[in-house]
Amino acid sequence: MWVFGHTGGGSDLRTQESVFEEIFLVFLVLGTIVGVVVIGYMLYNGWRYRASASDELEDPPVLGELPVGQGGGKKLALSFALSAIIVLSLIVWSYSAVIYVDQGPEMEENMEVEIVGAQFNWDFTYENGETLTDTLVIPEDQLVRFSVTAQTEPRLDVWHTFGVTELRIKADAIPGQTATEWVLADQQGVYLAECFELCGAGHSHMTADVIVVSQEEFDSWYELLSEDPDEAMENIPEPEEN
Amino acid sequence: MAEHSFPPRSSVKRWLVTTNHKDIGILYIVSSLFFFIFGGILALLIRTQLWTSGEFILSGSAFGQAVTAHGLVMVFFFLSPFAFGFANYIVPLQIGADDLAFPRLNALSYWLYFFAGMVFIVSFLQGGTIEAGWTLYAPLNLPAFMPSPGATTAILALLMFVGSVTASTINFIVTIHTHKADGLSLWHLPMFTWSILLTVWMMLIAFAALAAALLILGADHIFGAQYFTATEGGGLLWAHLFWFFGHPEVYIVFFPALGVMLETYQTFTGRRLIGRKWVILAMILVTLQSFLVWMHHMFLTTINLEIKTLMMAMTIGISLPFDLIVFAMIYTLLKGRIRYTTPFLFNFGALLLFILGGITGVFLGAIVLDYEFRGTYWVVAHFHYVMFAGGTALIGGLYYWWPKITGKMYNEFLGKLHFGIYFIGFNLLYFSMFLSWEMPRRVFTYHTGLETYNQMATIGGIILGASFLIMFYNLYTSYLSGPDAPDNPWEYSRTAEWATSSPPPLENFEGVPTYRNGFLEFEDRNAVADGGHVEHGHEPGRHPDHASWWPVTISFAGFLMLIGLAGLGEHFAYELLFIGGAAFVLLSAIGWGLEDFYAPEPLRGAKWPFDGVHKNKFGMWVFLASDIVIFGAFIGAYVFIRWGYGWEAWQNVPAESLPGLVNTFVLLTSSFTVILALVYAQRGNRRGVIAGLLATIGFAFTFMLIKSWEWNFLLPEAETLPEAVTMLVTLDFDVLFHTEGPAIDASIMHSTYYVTTGLHAIHVLIGVVALGYLAWRAWAHNAYIDGNERPVENVGLYWHFVDIAWVFLFPLFYII
Ligand code: HEM
Ligand SMILES: [Cu+2]
Ligand SMILES: [Cu+2]
Repeated sequence: MWVFGHTGGGSDLRTQESVFEEIFLVFLVLGTIVGVVVIGYMLYNGWRYRASASDELEDPPVLGELPVGQGGGKKLALSFALSAIIVLSLIVWSYSAVIYVDQGPEMEENMEVEIVGAQFNWDFTYENGETLTDTLVIPEDQLVRFSVTAQTEPRLDVWHTFGVTELRIKADAIPGQTATEWVLADQQGVYLAECFELCGAGHSHMTADVIVVSQEEFDSWYELLSEDPDEAMENIPEPEEN
Repeated sequence: MAEHSFPPRSSVKRWLVTTNHKDIGILYIVSSLFFFIFGGILALLIRTQLWTSGEFILSGSAFGQAVTAHGLVMVFFFLSPFAFGFANYIVPLQIGADDLAFPRLNALSYWLYFFAGMVFIVSFLQGGTIEAGWTLYAPLNLPAFMPSPGATTAILALLMFVGSVTASTINFIVTIHTHKADGLSLWHLPMFTWSILLTVWMMLIAFAALAAALLILGADHIFGAQYFTATEGGGLLWAHLFWFFGHPEVYIVFFPALGVMLETYQTFTGRRLIGRKWVILAMILVTLQSFLVWMHHMFLTTINLEIKTLMMAMTIGISLPFDLIVFAMIYTLLKGRIRYTTPFLFNFGALLLFILGGITGVFLGAIVLDYEFRGTYWVVAHFHYVMFAGGTALIGGLYYWWPKITGKMYNEFLGKLHFGIYFIGFNLLYFSMFLSWEMPRRVFTYHTGLETYNQMATIGGIILGASFLIMFYNLYTSYLSGPDAPDNPWEYSRTAEWATSSPPPLENFEGVPTYRNGFLEFEDRNAVADGGHVEHGHEPGRHPDHASWWPVTISFAGFLMLIGLAGLGEHFAYELLFIGGAAFVLLSAIGWGLEDFYAPEPLRGAKWPFDGVHKNKFGMWVFLASDIVIFGAFIGAYVFIRWGYGWEAWQNVPAESLPGLVNTFVLLTSSFTVILALVYAQRGNRRGVIAGLLATIGFAFTFMLIKSWEWNFLLPEAETLPEAVTMLVTLDFDVLFHTEGPAIDASIMHSTYYVTTGLHAIHVLIGVVALGYLAWRAWAHNAYIDGNERPVENVGLYWHFVDIAWVFLFPLFYII
């Protein structure tokens, strides 16, 4: 069985999407098989033992008997054991990816961004202290670590959940708590960040653009951000088509 | 009220005063179907809005209210009450009882539920109801974010509903354990009764946790307490409290449906349940484990990975017993003679849906996948497949028991048609949600590209809704002019509800049911009654009562009071309503207490360990169990917040511990005096009883006096207890009538102190009322010295509990 996890070499760095897609696929395939088998078996027997086609019952239940069961325990135990094995092995297998997904790969270089949710905006603060609202620019192929929370000052805000579906990242943004999340984007592009916890009337519109650009482009833009923030915010870099 | 004055079913009055379990069952079913329509209309509004990806018929706020109300109405006001309509009607029949243990309390449960629903409806009219989702996440659930009084009203509606559930829970637990027919042991209970028994045990614990959460939330709303605004973990605290209730709640709504499935899978196949013993054990396991998985709803929060892993393991662990139950039902089909009547079609379909819901639940149980699914339509699709699979089985239950309840047959063709359309609509609606799983839940606009799935879902929703028109038409015509139903319309049914007429007579069976010889027989009522069971409280020659005005009166009074409470400070009219309503509640509670309502003990006694325990005492123990959970949750909330704040940095509100210490001794002494009252009652000493009770009340007042000083109601100038005593003794009127009141909102430390000790103080006050009632009865009616000292004993139990609770609070809030 293939086991997730990072062994140190640069080549087996995995993005969150690839980990998720793989586990999801395995679950989907096995889940579908189990579903088809169980439902098929049920439908087949439901049809086979329909009243019009079946014999008289031996020892049918009678009104007023003390409720008791019928044998058949062995078959039950067997199918139960089988399903338990499938479920347990799936979960244990998926669990081997949890640590990686939780903590992210170990990379020398990484960048940190603080994400703060407030009704109904996302603020992204870079290490240089500059803050962008509803737009996040990050470099391609570079590990970015997020700390995610909701605003407490000057005014207490509510619980939000920051998530970017296409990048398969998500973290609760709770006032007073700080969650961590990471991303390794291997495709340039504009991704949609959304809020995944109902936070008030503007919840549906609490979105942001996550813009992934090449490392060089990001570096020059980031330099500009440190020197002339207003100018940098006017000139958000654009991802290359590929 | 004697039996002959019990009005007939055609009279409106009957339905207002009845305490009979079958009438109450019908009331539950009818009301819950009303709320089903209400919730369904909200659902159709939601689906209409989602027809397009952009703005359409609802605003963001209206949409938020619609999803919130839809969830709350369906879970609280439809599913559970619908199931408990059947529980009310069927469980006493299945176990061979005349009625529930406390018929008048049962009527109270119903009316509290009904008026809770009315309070909830009122919340819409007060500038909008709560809009935080049915999970009511904090701090969005607070007035700072939802200033309309309707939000507070909705919370109070839920609190009233919890009251209804608690009363009902006690009733069912006592009934099932002690009112079983002779020879019917726990193991042999019919599966529907088993499922209800386990449901009410779960409810007892889970709803107590919800009660605590809502009480604290109410304190935040009304008195400005700061639990859920605390940045030291307020938001997480709500999530913990809510899900500690919320996870068991999903089984609470599902178990009765499971019970219906287990009955119908036997009846309509002509087979007995395969592996019955294992199914029961699996259900017991689920009941216990349901309290150990709640954090799987919080995988994305800051809880550490070890705890999440534990919760994941538990979650998977709890899915396994369900596996077993599903297989047992499937194997029961084998070698049967399956008849696809309407009830069975719905139950067969329910299992198919449940299998799909269960499989997709396992996806959610895997942490790595849940990280992505959290907050999306995958979750919405999953829980509709499981919960509404339960709903599907219950609709099958409605068809199954309809002939028994109404005495009429429904139209089989229309029933099957209903199922066919329903099943198509269901899958179109909810399967589309799996396909659009990447969409965040509870959004009213979404990005383009998902319209197709959403429109499929909307069409499915309309089909699903329309199928119910057929059902209502079918049931309506059946009720008016359907053919008469036989006593037992279903071949191979086994359980006792089919062994009496359709509908059953007031006392359920002509004779007294017994299973003493291993199968159902009936004994002559009079012979059994004369058989010397007087010691069990059956008063010979007295007919049981079936009617009381007090349940509906108290509940209506509560309705007025809560509406007033929600609007305190908004408008003068609310204040009036609150005060008037509160007085009305008190008066009607006294009326209830004074009414001589007779509900006999069962003719045949209970089995170990409950034999010889009077039902009132048993009920008191069950109530105290739920109260322990309430106090436990309050204490847990305090510890959690204090932990987040920094245990050592925290400062206790009372400046000194002396007053608390004195109060501890005062209460402990009062526990002693209440025992004295009981001892005197047993000895037949009237003055001793009165003296013991009055002494207890005296200590309670001393306690409350010191408390009032600590709470700044009395003598706020006094810094220390001795100073306060001096001021009191010198009768300095200027200071005496000066009050400030507690500073609940001064800090989180103040909030926890005042709210927790306030909960305790309310318990003390209720105790004083009960003790006062006993003392008055002992004085005016020479009560309790005639060998019936049970009320003194039961109130005494309550009083000990109040004292013990204080013994826990004192060190936590004064010393540590
Ligand atoms: C195979 C067994 C099951 C497993 C492993 C399972 C697992 C889960 C998990 C992990 C969640 C949290 C999803 C999230 O919000 O991220 C969830 C949600 C939910 N489940 Fe299940 N579940 C199972 C069966 C059931 C059953 C039997 C019911 C009820 C009849 C149910 C009702 C719900 C509900 C109502 C929610 C959503 C609550 C909300 O967020 O509004 N589940 N389930
Ligand atoms: Cu949001
Ligand atoms: Cu759960």
